Order: sequence, then structure tokens, then C-alpha cells
Amino acid sequence: MDLIGLYPTWYEPGIGSGWVIGLIATIHVLFSHTAVGAALLFTYLAYLGYRDDRPELIDFIKKYGLFLLVFSYILGSITGPGIWYSTTVGSPRGISALIHNFVWKWATEWVFFVIEVVGVYMMVYLVGKVDKATYLRIAITFGMASFATMLAIVGILSFMMEPGMPNWAEKGGYLLGFYGDNTFAQLAIRIAFMFTMTAVVGGIVVAGLKDQVFKTWLARRLAVLGIVSTIIGISLYPWYLSTLPAQAQIVMENRIPDYYGTAILTVLLATIAYFAFTLFKPRMLTASIAGLATLSILILGLFPGETIRESARKPFVAGEYLYSNQVIAKDVPGMTVKSEIPTLEKVGFTHASVFWPETQRDITVNNAHEVGRTLAIAACSNCHSLSTTGIRPIAGYFGGITDVSRIKTYLLGALATGNTMYMPKIPLQDKEAEALALYLASLADPTVVARYVEENSKTADAPQKVLPAIDDKKTTSPVARVNVSFPTSGLEE
Amino acid sequence: MDASMLYALRDPLGVPAAPIIFLLLGVLTWALHIAAVHVLLGASSLTLFGSLNKNPHWRRLADAMVSTAKIAVSVAIVLGVAPLLFVQVIYDPFWYTSNVLSAWWVIGFITFLIFGSLLLFIFYGLNSSMKTKPKTRCPGAMLAAIAFFLVVGFIMHALSVQMLKPEKWMEWYAPGGIVDASGRALHAYNFWRFGFFISLSAPVIGLWLIAYRRYLLGRDNEDQSYLAFVRRLAMPLISIGGIIALALYVGWMATLDQNVASFALSFWSIITVAMLLLAVAVPFVLSKKLDSGFWGYAPFAVGAVALIVVGAMREALRWATLYGVHGYNALDYKLHMDWYSTLMFFLTFAAIGGAVLAYLLTVSWKAGQTKGMYVASPMVNRMGTIGISLLAVWIIQYFAIGLWVAYSG
Ligand code: HEM
Repeated sequence: MDLIGLYPTWYEPGIGSGWVIGLIATIHVLFSHTAVGAALLFTYLAYLGYRDDRPELIDFIKKYGLFLLVFSYILGSITGPGIWYSTTVGSPRGISALIHNFVWKWATEWVFFVIEVVGVYMMVYLVGKVDKATYLRIAITFGMASFATMLAIVGILSFMMEPGMPNWAEKGGYLLGFYGDNTFAQLAIRIAFMFTMTAVVGGIVVAGLKDQVFKTWLARRLAVLGIVSTIIGISLYPWYLSTLPAQAQIVMENRIPDYYGTAILTVLLATIAYFAFTLFKPRMLTASIAGLATLSILILGLFPGETIRESARKPFVAGEYLYSNQVIAKDVPGMTVKSEIPTLEKVGFTHASVFWPETQRDITVNNAHEVGRTLAIAACSNCHSLSTTGIRPIAGYFGGITDVSRIKTYLLGALATGNTMYMPKIPLQDKEAEALALYLASLADPTVVARYVEENSKTADAPQKVLPAIDDKKTTSPVARVNVSFPTSGLEE
Repeated sequence: MDASMLYALRDPLGVPAAPIIFLLLGVLTWALHIAAVHVLLGASSLTLFGSLNKNPHWRRLADAMVSTAKIAVSVAIVLGVAPLLFVQVIYDPFWYTSNVLSAWWVIGFITFLIFGSLLLFIFYGLNSSMKTKPKTRCPGAMLAAIAFFLVVGFIMHALSVQMLKPEKWMEWYAPGGIVDASGRALHAYNFWRFGFFISLSAPVIGLWLIAYRRYLLGRDNEDQSYLAFVRRLAMPLISIGGIIALALYVGWMATLDQNVASFALSFWSIITVAMLLLAVAVPFVLSKKLDSGFWGYAPFAVGAVALIVVGAMREALRWATLYGVHGYNALDYKLHMDWYSTLMFFLTFAAIGGAVLAYLLTVSWKAGQTKGMYVASPMVNRMGTIGISLLAVWIIQYFAIGLWVAYSG
């Protein structure tokens, strides 16, 4: 049998699964980076505190630590597996690819994670209960373990964009998948911004300090940390960009709305301005100001950042071989993985998918619309909402066209051939293209379906025949402009 | 869903070490996870009960239990991650399908867990010393936290049960032939099974209390009447709680699907009952001995072994269902042996995990037993230094190998 292992799809018509995943990921980035940053900051403060005999530093650790415990460790450690869970339901084969390549790396990270969690409780609860040297040892252990969790994860994240080394596909194996230019560039940039986030979030605690002299001292240190790390982060960005695959560069140039770049730059400059404020007016720092700054970073900085990382790797979702819509697009001889495109070309989604209603495997005039919907769910909904809300609503790309044959021509010309660069090749069979076209047309005008059925049942032996065009000259969609067009930029967002 | 379809869902990348390793690690780490969950649920319930009570012993216990619960929630989460990793490696067709079909609940799992944990922390923050203050602030937070934890556990339970019913998947995904991709429903559960896993919290927290009591005995001049109180509470929790759990177990076995009904009298099922009975009996048999030497810790140790057996039984049932009924053999997964990452994990686990955790736990333990400041002995200090050195070696090898792979041409 020609089966390919596509899972059921989760398609959420309201906000769209993409946003849910993005939201969880963004929150987790904040928590986890703050956790690692704060761990290193703690280690440093514990060192200073004991070296110069400054109990207020140790007190701060206790205070910030308690806050951090809730903020980062509890929430960070829930949203961490939360990302697994959310990508599981949003892109099961994507997470599966990461798990099956890197399970041991994740297991290794888990060892550090256990140490980290034990460590953070000890940092908080053993203040003053153990001798200095011991406390310092705990602090150093904690800081190093925390840093190691980040090291362990970063190569997996960069594999989502591309395999570490180009010859991974040929040779396979963990090392070539994990390590590469992009891994190190990403690591460097993450470390920089991790300190930025630590400095911002740290402000929430600093704001509450009663001792004004100490508050000033610490707020200034955090401000310097914030400014330096932000500047380093910005200056590392070109290096990071240069390590992205060519495909991603093009996508970023064409598909990311211009204001994203501006927004991010503005946020970074605002961040520096914010730190300049806390540097010169440390006493004016209040918890609400610091809280607001944290929230702004989250909404204005991290979310677009995550979105870009998400969009830039399109049409792939992992390792440059797995499409967003879960189809394996290329052979990976090093891992004896075979492309699934030939199977789809041979028998189509309707016959290759495991999760396909039996009544929809053969397409008839009467079930065409339903098959079209199932196809849209399976092949498109990972990146396009099928309703009017959510990520990249699909109807918007067809500008209200209701001419089934025209849409079908487009689907066969631009999608089935893989001629749309940032989209997967979606090898639709002729009848599948017609079914999908009917469904897409019905999004603009539901009555199309009844007419289609009526027209075609009369000529049941000529199922290719479709409805005459409805006037759509005024539309601006790529499909309408040219009968078959290959849009490479423009319409999105 | 026939076997060929289940096999088609497997990840073509294969697995990087013998599948049996993942299966065993899954069972072992799940047992640890559920043990932490039991301590969490047990300690939370005792906290709630104690916080609503005027008796000073109860209030002191509530104080101790809320601290336990707070740490247990972290531990339960951390220890939950491990089986979550391993289940995806060899049971991906089942785990992913089950999750996607109930996607909203999967998201709900995270959300409710966040609510529950925050509520627990809020309760803790509001009631820093129930021992000295007669009034409890906002016990509702604790009650709500427990409720959220139960919902979280129920979602996990439903996902675990849905995994085992491939014959129903298509009906759930496309009822009447129309695809419903909304992921809004939980499709399968078994209250006996869920009840069994949850009810084990009672005997487990009882065993935990015995160990807690032993820990207090190690300190100087502990309040004898409090120690007696803890014991009086622990024993019936173990015996009555244990009997209830066994009754629910019998209910679960009696309601197994027809095609695996014979599992009820299989080796794994019988040894599970035997181990649970043993764990319940041990504290009663030891009785007076619990106060001498390290015997006070023995019951919990036996309980932990019993939970590993429970985990093995749970796995055996999965095997009987997926292999026995559906023809899916989790152990014939395609192998792409990856020596570096496999060895690296085991080395890290044994050397760094072992050394560092031994150090950290020794220090916590000693600090807890010492009144005033604990000063580490040279021996303990050496353990700490070894741990740090190993971490440093790990970080260095990460960069050394990485830079070599990435830039050596
Ligand atoms: C308060 C929180 C939690 C409770 C009460 C809880 C409870 C449970 C219960 C009762 C089961 C067994 C279900 C059955 O077999 O019927 C279970 C399984 C499981 N739990 Fe948890 N859990 C909690 C948190 C977590 C977390 C945070 C994670 C992951 C990070 C997790 C991961 C798992 C996994 C992966 C399984 C199934 C493993 C398998 O099928 O092999 N749990 N949990």
C-alpha cells in the first residue's frame, strides 16, 4: 500500500492553532531566558556578596530567587513541556523529527534541568543556613547547569531552521544535525538577549528594594548589563542572518511585513533608552515601570521575533526536509528517509493518508466539496486559516473568485508543481485539485457548491466540467490577474 | 486502523538506540513521576485539611505539607518531562494521534497546570506560618489548586487511554465521515483506572509521613506528641487508602476491554496486587522498629518499588493492547544507532547527574538536620568541587566537539 504517515490535523477556526503555539512559545522564551540569565547573575552576586562581605547581595538573591522561582521555574518549566505539547498538536511530525534526531540531547538537557530545579530551591532556602564556601559552590553549580540547559537546546532549535551541517542529509547522525554556523550564531545572540531580559525582569525586584543606596547600586549594574547586552545582541544580528539558509533570506525579504523590522529595531532602541533611564534615575524605578517594560519586550520584541523565526523557515518546519504541512519533501539518505512527494503524485492525499474518511477516498460530484475541505485541512491549514480570522486566512488569497476551473488551474499550475517558493509543493491529483478548488470557491460563495453539483450531475460522465466563471474582473488576487500566476511576494499580512 | 497504518505513522528517522532502552526508561521515569504526583496530591490534601483545623498539630502539619507540595509540584513536572520524551520516541503513532484528537485539552493541560501551581504558591505566600497563626487565609486557593491538579491528571489519563484505542480513532476524527479537526473533545476514559492512580495518593502520603516522622526523630528534642500524631494519621492512610486503591484496581481490571480482559489475571497484574499489599503491610510489620536506625525510611522505599511495579504493569497492559490486539510491536522500531549522543547521555546522567545531585542532596539533608549554620566537611566540599569540575568538562567538550564539527572543513 502507498501510505504516508500523516496524522490527523488540529485545525482551530477561531484564533488558529498557529497563534496558540506562538503565544506559548513566546512566553516560554521569556521565562526560560530569564531563568538562565538570572542563574548566572545570582552566581556572580553570590560571589561578590561573599568576597566583599555584603549580606545585602545575598538578601537580594533570596528575594529575587523567590520571585524567580515562581516566575521562571514554575512557569518556565510548565511552558517548556508546554511547547512540546503545543507543537505536538500543531505539528506532530515536526516535533517528532526533533525528538527522533535529538532524544538523547533532550534527555541530557533534562539532567541539567533536574540539577537546576534542585539548585534554585537550595539557593533560596539555604541562604544563611550553610557556610559561605558551600553556598558559593551551590551557586556556581546552579549557574553552570542552567547555562548547560541552554547549550543543549540551541542546536535543536537551529535544526528547525536547517540542519547544522549541509552534509547531514547525506550522512545523518546527531552531530551533523546539531552543530553548525547557525547553532553558534544563535547561541551567541540568545546569550546576549538573555541578559537583556534578565536586566529588565530583575528591575521588578530591584524596584521594591527599600535601601536606596543599594537600590541605586544594583539598578545601575542591571542597566549597564542591559545596555551592553542589547548592543552586543544587535551587533550579532548580521552574523546570525548570514548563517540562515538562502531560502530563509528570501522569505525574510519578501514575506515579512516591513514594519516587523522597524518594530524590532524600535523595541531595541527603546530598551536601551529604558536602561539609560534606570541608569541615570535609578531611584525612579518602580515595579510597575519594570513590569510594563517586561510586558513590552514580550509583546513588541519577542513575539515578532518568534514569528519571524517561524515564518523564515517556510515551507519547511524542520531540517529542510519536512514541510509545514507534514509531508516529507526530500530524501534524507543519511537517515534512510524517503521523500513522500512521489507517493502523493502517484495516488494523492486521498489514498495515501492514513487518516482519511473511507467515504472520501474516491471523489465524486457529491462529495467533492467535503473532500476539498478535508484536503484544505490536511494540506493547507497548518499555515492558513480556513476562516476569516487566524493566521493568513486562505480566502484572502483568492479575492472572492468563485470560478472553480480557474482556481483549479492555479492549484495545478502553481502548487502541484511546487512553483510557489515559500509554499510546499502540494502534488494534487486532478480530481483533488478540482475538489479543493470547489471548497475554496465556496468560501467566497457557498452557493457555488449546489450549482456545481447540479451542473455536473447532468454530465456525470464528465466530472472535469466546471461552472462558468462568475464575474471577478475586479479582484486583485493573483489567480484573477493572470490565469495562472506564481506569486512570490506581496499579499500576506 | 490496521497494523500497516500504525506502522506508516512511525517516524522514518528511526530511533538512535535500542527501542527497549526507551521503553525501560519510560517505565522507570513514569514511576518517579507518579510518585511525585502522589506526594503532591497527598500533601495538598493534608494541607487543606490541616489549614481548616484548629488543632495545633494539624496546623503544624499543614505548614510542613504546603512546603512539601510546593516542591512536589516542581518535581512532578520535572519528572513528567522524562516519560513525555520517551513515550514520543517509541509510541509516536499513538501519542501524537491521541494528542491531536484532543488538542484543546492538551493546551488546557498546560493552562490548568499553570493555574494550579500559581494557586498553590499564592496559598503558600498568604499562609507563611499556619503553625503560629490560628487563622488560615484563603483556603479556597488550596482547594482550587487541588481541583486543577485533578483535571490536569485527568487529561493525562484520557490521553493515555485514547492511545490504546486505534480502532476508534477514525470515528473520533471523522464522525459520520465528516472531519472534525477542532480537537475539542476528550474521547475515552476509565474512571476506575483514573481513580486507582489518584487514590494511591493516600497510601503514598501515608508512607511519606512515616519517613517525615523518621526525619524529625533525627533532630534533637522533637515534640513527642506531634510525632505520635503523625503516626496515628499515617497508619490508616496507608491501610484504608491502600484497600480503597486495590478495590479501584479490581474495578479497572473488571472493566478492561473484551480483547484484553485476560490481562486481569496475568503475571503483571497479580504481582502488582502483591506488591501493593506488601507496601501496605510493611509499616505494620515493622511497627516499633520504625523508630530505630533507618527503618523509618524503609516503608517509603518499598512503596517506591511498588510504584515501579505499577508502572511496569501499566506498560504491560499497553503492550498487550497494542501488540496483542493491534499487532504493533514498539520494539521493532528502525534503529539508526547514534553512539555519540547515546553515550553522552549516559555519561552525563551517571557522572554529572550522580555527582552533582549527590552533593546537592547531601548538603540539603545535612543543613536540614543541623540547627543553625551547617559547615560542610572537607569530604562534602570535595564532592562539590568534583561536581563543578565535571560540569566544566561537559561545557568544554560541547564547544570543542561543536567547533570541530562546524568549522574543521
Ligand atoms: C499535577 C500535575 C499532574 C498530575 C496530577 C498527573 C497525573 C498523571 C496520571 C494520573 C497519569 C496516568 C494516566 C493513566 O495512565 O491513566 C499520568 C501520566 C503521564 N503524565 Fe502526568 N500528571 C501531572 C503532571 C504532568 C506533567 C507536568 C507532565 C509533563 C511534563 C506529565 C507527563 C505525563 C506523561 C507523559 C504521562 C503518560 C506517560 C505514558 O503514557 O507513558 N504529567 N500523569
